[in-house]
Amino acid sequence: MYKSLLYKEWIKTRSGIACLAVIFLGVGIYSFMKINESIRLLGIVNLWETAVQKDPAMFPQFKYLPLLAGILLAIMQYVPELQFKRLKLTLHLPLNENKILLTMLFYGVIAVLSLLLITLPILLLGLGQRFPSEIVWANFQQLAPWFLAGPAAYLITAWVCLEPQWKQRILNIIPGIIALSFFFLRAKSGGYQPFDPYLILLVIVAFFFAFYSTARFKEGVQ
Amino acid sequence: MTPIIQCQNITHYYGNRLIYKDLNFEVQKGKILGLLGKNGTGKTTIINILNGYLKPQAGVCRVFGEDMDKLSPKTKGSIGLLLEGHIQHSYFNLLQIEKYYRRFFPKWKRDAYFGLIEKLKVTPTQKISTMSCGQRSQVALGILFAQDPDLLILDDFSMGLDPGYRRLFVEYLKEYAKDGNKTVFLTSHIIQDMELLIDDCMILDYGKILLHKPTKELMEEHPNQTLEDIFIELTGKY
Repeated sequence: MYKSLLYKEWIKTRSGIACLAVIFLGVGIYSFMKINESIRLLGIVNLWETAVQKDPAMFPQFKYLPLLAGILLAIMQYVPELQFKRLKLTLHLPLNENKILLTMLFYGVIAVLSLLLITLPILLLGLGQRFPSEIVWANFQQLAPWFLAGPAAYLITAWVCLEPQWKQRILNIIPGIIALSFFFLRAKSGGYQPFDPYLILLVIVAFFFAFYSTARFKEGVQ
Repeated sequence: MTPIIQCQNITHYYGNRLIYKDLNFEVQKGKILGLLGKNGTGKTTIINILNGYLKPQAGVCRVFGEDMDKLSPKTKGSIGLLLEGHIQHSYFNLLQIEKYYRRFFPKWKRDAYFGLIEKLKVTPTQKISTMSCGQRSQVALGILFAQDPDLLILDDFSMGLDPGYRRLFVEYLKEYAKDGNKTVFLTSHIIQDMELLIDDCMILDYGKILLHKPTKELMEEHPNQTLEDIFIELTGKY
C-alpha cells in the first residue's frame, strides 16, 4: 500500500524532479565554467589568495536553488491534493491517516535531499581539484545552510499548501518566510557553524507542521 | 439490526447560517437511500460529516458502528466514496490509476474497472484530466465498483452528466445493489430517474428534513406523479 502512495507521489512529481535535476546540472556546469574562467583571467595563485583573504562564495548561483527546489516540489505534490479537495480521496484510503501524510512528507524530503546530496559532493569534489581542502571546507560551510533550506522550504510549503483556509495560509507564510530567512543570514564561512544544529532542529520541527494543517482540513475548516 | 449509517441530532451552521438542526436518520443494510434537495441545502455537508471531513457543531454519525471522525482503515476500505463532480486523481492515466488503487483493496475487481473503461473510446494511456465529465464519471464509477465496497457514498453523482451517462450510472448502481448486501447513500439535485433507483427517499430543505419514507410508499401516495413532481410540490419551484 505504501508503495502505491509513493507511486502516486512519483507520478505527480517525476517531470518536476527531472526538470530540477537538469537545472541543478546546468547551474553546476555554469558554476565550474565561471570558476575556470576566473582561473584563466586571474591565475590560480591570485584566485587562491582572494579565496583565503576575501572569502568569496565559489557557488553563489546555488544560494537560492535548494530553496526553490523545495518550494517547487511541495507545490507539485500538494497543490493537486488541495485542488477540488482531492486530499479527501487520499485520506479515505484504508490506511492510518497520519501514516499516509508521513509517507507523502518522507517522499518529498527524500526527493529534495537526494537532489541536494548528489549535487553537494560533486561541487565540493570539483572544487577540490583546483583548491586546497581548507577552501573546500569553507565552501561546504557556506553551502550547508543554503542546502538545508531545501528540505525546510519543502516542509514549510507543504504546511502552507495543506492549510485549507486562505486567511490562515497567508498567516502561515509570514512565519514561514521568517524561518527560512535564518538560512540566508550573511556570515563569513564558518560563522554559521554553531547555528547549524538549530537549523537542523528547525527542519525536524517543520516536519510536524503539515499534520496541523491536515487536522484542520479534516475538521472541515474553510 | 444495526444500521449501516446512523446520524443522531446533527446540528450544523456555516457562520450564522443554519444548515440543519437535530437531523436524524438511518440507512439500513441493503437499501439505497437518496438524499434529495436543492442546491445549498446541505447534501454535500452531510457527506462530509459522514466521512469525517467536517465536524458538526453537535450530534454524531456512525458508519458501520464507528464514529465518523474515528473511522478505522478497515471500515474506510468498505466504503466507496464518490466526490461531487466525479473528482479523481486526474494526473493519472487510466492504467496508472488502476495500478494505484488495486493495492489498497483486497477484493479489487480488475474486470469491473476495465469493463467500464472499454466503453470509453479512449486509449488506456490517456490522462484523466483530458477527459470529458461523462468519461471521468465512468472512470470514477469503474474505480468504485472495482473496490467492491459494502457501502457506496455518492455525492451528487448526476452532476454534469448527460441523460445517457446518468442512465448508465443508474443501471450500474441497480446491478450493484441487487443482491441486498450492498448499501448505497447518494445525494442528487437531479430527481429524474431517481424513482427507478432509490428504495428510500429523503428530501432535505433549508435546515430540515421535509420527508423521509420508502419511495414505493411515496409513489403510491401520489399516483400519476413522478418523484420530480412530488419534489417540486414539497420544496417549491425555486
